[in-house]
Amino acid sequence: MDSPKPDQVVVSAHAVSKKFHTQGGELQLFENLNLEVRRGESLAIIGPSGAGKSTLLSMLAGLDQPSTGMIRLAGSNLAELDETARARLRARSVSFVFQSFHLLPELSALDNVRLPLEIRGEADSEQQAQHWLSQVGLASRAEHLPGQLSGGEQQRVAIARAFATRPDILFADEPTGNLDSETGASIVDQLFGLNAQQQTTLILITHDSQLASRCSRRLQLRQGQLLETTA
Amino acid sequence: MSQAVLRLARQQAFSSLRSPEWRALLAALLVAITLISLLTQLGDRLEQSLNRRTAELLGADLVLRAEEPAVLATQGAIRSSRVAQFPTMIEAGDEMMLVSVRAVTDPYPLRGAIVTEPAQHPDIPEPGTAWAEPRIFEMLQLEPGDTVQLGYSKFRLSHRLMSSPDRGSGFRSFSPGLIMRSDALEATGVIAPGSRVEYRQLFAGPAGAVATLEEQLRENLGPDERLYSLSADQPMTGRALRNAELYLRLSALFALLLGALTITLSLRRYNAAQHSRAALLLSLGLENRQLLLLYGYQLLFGWIICALLGTALGFGLQQLLVQLIGDLLPQPVPQAGIAAMSSGALIGLLLLTTLGLPAFYRLSQVSVVALFRETSLPSNIRSRLIQLLGFGLLAGLMSVYIESLTLALLLLGALTLSGLVVGWLAQALLQRLAEGFRHRMRLGSLLLLRIRQQRKWHRLQAATMTLLLTMLATLIIARGDMLQQWRTQFPPDTPNYFLINIQPWEKEPLDQLFASNDLSPALYPMIRGRISSLNDTPLAEVTLSTEQRRHNALRRELNLTWTEQMPDNNSLLSGSWWQGTPSEPLISVEQDLAAAMGVDIGDRVSFQIGSQLIQAEVSNIRAVQWESFTPNFYVIFSPGALDNLPATYITALRLDGEQRTLARTLLQQFPTLTLIDIDQLLNQAQALIEKLVDSSSMILALTLLAGLLLLVVTLMQELERRRYESALLQTLGATPGQSRQLDLLELLWLGLICGGLAAVASEAILWLISARVLQIPLTLHPLSWLLLPPLSALLFTGIGALIRKPLDQARCYSLLKAN
Ligand SMILES: Nc1ncnc2c1ncn2[C@@H]1O[C@H](COP(=O)(O)OP(=O)(O)O)[C@@H](O)[C@H]1O
Ligand SMILES: [Mg+2]
Repeated sequence: MDSPKPDQVVVSAHAVSKKFHTQGGELQLFENLNLEVRRGESLAIIGPSGAGKSTLLSMLAGLDQPSTGMIRLAGSNLAELDETARARLRARSVSFVFQSFHLLPELSALDNVRLPLEIRGEADSEQQAQHWLSQVGLASRAEHLPGQLSGGEQQRVAIARAFATRPDILFADEPTGNLDSETGASIVDQLFGLNAQQQTTLILITHDSQLASRCSRRLQLRQGQLLETTA
Repeated sequence: MSQAVLRLARQQAFSSLRSPEWRALLAALLVAITLISLLTQLGDRLEQSLNRRTAELLGADLVLRAEEPAVLATQGAIRSSRVAQFPTMIEAGDEMMLVSVRAVTDPYPLRGAIVTEPAQHPDIPEPGTAWAEPRIFEMLQLEPGDTVQLGYSKFRLSHRLMSSPDRGSGFRSFSPGLIMRSDALEATGVIAPGSRVEYRQLFAGPAGAVATLEEQLRENLGPDERLYSLSADQPMTGRALRNAELYLRLSALFALLLGALTITLSLRRYNAAQHSRAALLLSLGLENRQLLLLYGYQLLFGWIICALLGTALGFGLQQLLVQLIGDLLPQPVPQAGIAAMSSGALIGLLLLTTLGLPAFYRLSQVSVVALFRETSLPSNIRSRLIQLLGFGLLAGLMSVYIESLTLALLLLGALTLSGLVVGWLAQALLQRLAEGFRHRMRLGSLLLLRIRQQRKWHRLQAATMTLLLTMLATLIIARGDMLQQWRTQFPPDTPNYFLINIQPWEKEPLDQLFASNDLSPALYPMIRGRISSLNDTPLAEVTLSTEQRRHNALRRELNLTWTEQMPDNNSLLSGSWWQGTPSEPLISVEQDLAAAMGVDIGDRVSFQIGSQLIQAEVSNIRAVQWESFTPNFYVIFSPGALDNLPATYITALRLDGEQRTLARTLLQQFPTLTLIDIDQLLNQAQALIEKLVDSSSMILALTLLAGLLLLVVTLMQELERRRYESALLQTLGATPGQSRQLDLLELLWLGLICGGLAAVASEAILWLISARVLQIPLTLHPLSWLLLPPLSALLFTGIGALIRKPLDQARCYSLLKAN
């Protein structure tokens, strides 16, 4: 499979809706939602808590299925793939950064970055991991455990880990949500620096207007509607 | 790719050692493996050692007894030897005495050893010589080297025979013994048609070959033949030993359940902690299938560590125990077999698979979504099926210990069910209690709130703890009951001398002699006879199962007696005891014999006694305490029935200290009667029992330790989880003292309730065990009712207080912030 060309749509949603069946009855999160994201774009999804941002993100990443509508990710219609094929697609083209870092506490910073490379069975995983750690400015902390790193440093390790597999698309759910604004800003710098350098497509959820303003597009999710906004 | 998974698993197994959940799981596994390995190795060695002891008493691994000389050719690795044993008179000068002669072939015996004085002796007596027990030398006033006349032959008594195995059975074994060569037998001319000779063939060899031979022999056993084997014929301490083995088995079963419980709980906790980790690994490119593989490998690594360590520990502890108790077991104590050595590790693996598979299967179903928001693991039909499979495997494992799959399934089912019931009951009680106290104390409503909120945890905790306490209480009480039984088996007034061959005319003067020494032992007449027919049908034509036919008493002559009163140590099961002298002969039959013959009250049984045929009606069925060292009889006649038949009398008496001189007087005044000293046998049995008590205490202590570990682990888990709640309470204005009070009060109540429920449950289990397994009479244990609840409460609060660390204000804040 050849890699998508510039301008090509890498993630798209057509007429997507999502319903949950809860004890309190049916919960309709959104209806008839449409979205296209091109290669190299950076997209911020903003909106109040509970609007369904995380749900939308997990559907775009193929972790959750829409109730109706179609989602395409990296050239494939997700509905046509089974769970294993979706997992393979994700492994090949997608990375995640989470609000609460999610590093393995007993592995060193270096080993945390190495982990996805190991899983893919790459030969020079150590050198690659070392490279990505120095990209986020943590070369000297390679042997430290997550517990010995500050929150910002942990998130930088997570970013190095996300880029280590050279994904086409990077999904980030409130990457600065657990950090103070100053640390958050430096994380954002790194994220966008690497994004530009790697031509990665970036889809992120944030409450941070500063972070949102640095993205090439901003979408507001509110009452089931997705609206393009300006900065 | 799978290489990477393997590498990751290895890395994870070691790097996870930093995580408390993985450490707790490994600790649980280690303790289970150690305990099970210890118990199985110990059990194996004990059994081997007891078998060897029995073999040394039998003089062989297998003995075939017959009334005809039958020579069985033996094959392969089996060695064999023949013995003819008979009573006969020997003479020296003017003196004569009755001895029990064993004519043996070389080699003899096959197991155990003959001890003589002088100690050096050939395998069997040289031609022209014989070995005689010290009593023969004494009675005939001989010295080694002197000669005796036996039939037509003369023998020089070259050695004193101090001890020897294979003394024969019954009273044959109590007459002073003499060993001669079998090839010298014919020349003596004492064996004539009709003489009472017992022929034995001894066999010994590797266990497997002996077992095969035993099976063959049992199948072709003739009516007058009997087979003695290690498995079926333990010496007189047999019942105590059998119970000790059962106790060991029970401990092992409980250790297994305890291990399963601790492992399940730690797996749960470990699993919960792995939830987001598994989701993360998925987000990093692992597939769900590989996730299962990953955790499979990791468990395997964990198991390997625990298996090596646990087996070594079990081996060491077991070695230590054998050192402590071993001086009474025949030395050297045989090493445990490979199967017993590896059992702990294998069972640990099985436990881990059966309990871990369902848990990890569920874990492998996790989704990356878990990283975005709280999700619960899906529970589908497949994971239910796998859970069921685990349950079945566990039952299979347990069935190895209780030797019945149905029973194991029933037991597991009952455990699960009672766990549910107990959990529910305990929680309901707890809530009642809290409601009652609501307005009586300051924290009352807060406590009630918590108890409502922690419903689920309380159910689980109460079920686990009640189960644990029940098992421990059962082990302690069963041990106590067994000790009691062992001790009462040989009460202090157990007779230590038997007097046999008392002639009718000696009865009166003997009674007088006893009376002047403040003794009043009962003298029983003894007449030998054979059962010939049941309800007028000849015995040979009565349809009996082979199992029934095998009963000892149907194949040989019985010792019959008659009495007016039922002897002590006997108890009436059905029917009534006779009054005075009934007009028609009545008999009392021992329960096993009655079952073997299929007779009941009112049936008529005929006996061939000498040339006479005597018929009697069954008047009652009796239970006999065979281990009591008193004369015991299968069949007792009513007075008058056997009056005209020639009888000798038998009695048993206890002689202590000063009274022992009476033994000499007896032999001088009544030279024809035979006095048998069984003190040594009794001492041996008693010492063995003491040792069994010691080892059972040690096993108990170890199991207790494992149980305590379980308690500590679960409480630690819970209190750790509670820190957040405590922090919240404290920032809302509760003092650290109050939050501590709240925790301890809750634990106190929980402890009381669990203890109370455990007292009830253990009583029920003990009832089952004593009735079905140990076959000892049922007793209630009010002490456990009184002690269990406060002890359990003390344990809960004590451990809780020890583990619970006070939270200072600063800690509170950082805890709340982090969450
Ligand atoms: N599996 C689910 N079942 C029921 N309701 C859900 C489920 N997942 C999310 N929700 C609900 O959907 C809404 C949106 O959740 P989420 O996507 O996490 O919002 P956001 O990330 O914008 O804060 C919330 O009200 C949440 O409770
Ligand atoms: Mg969200």
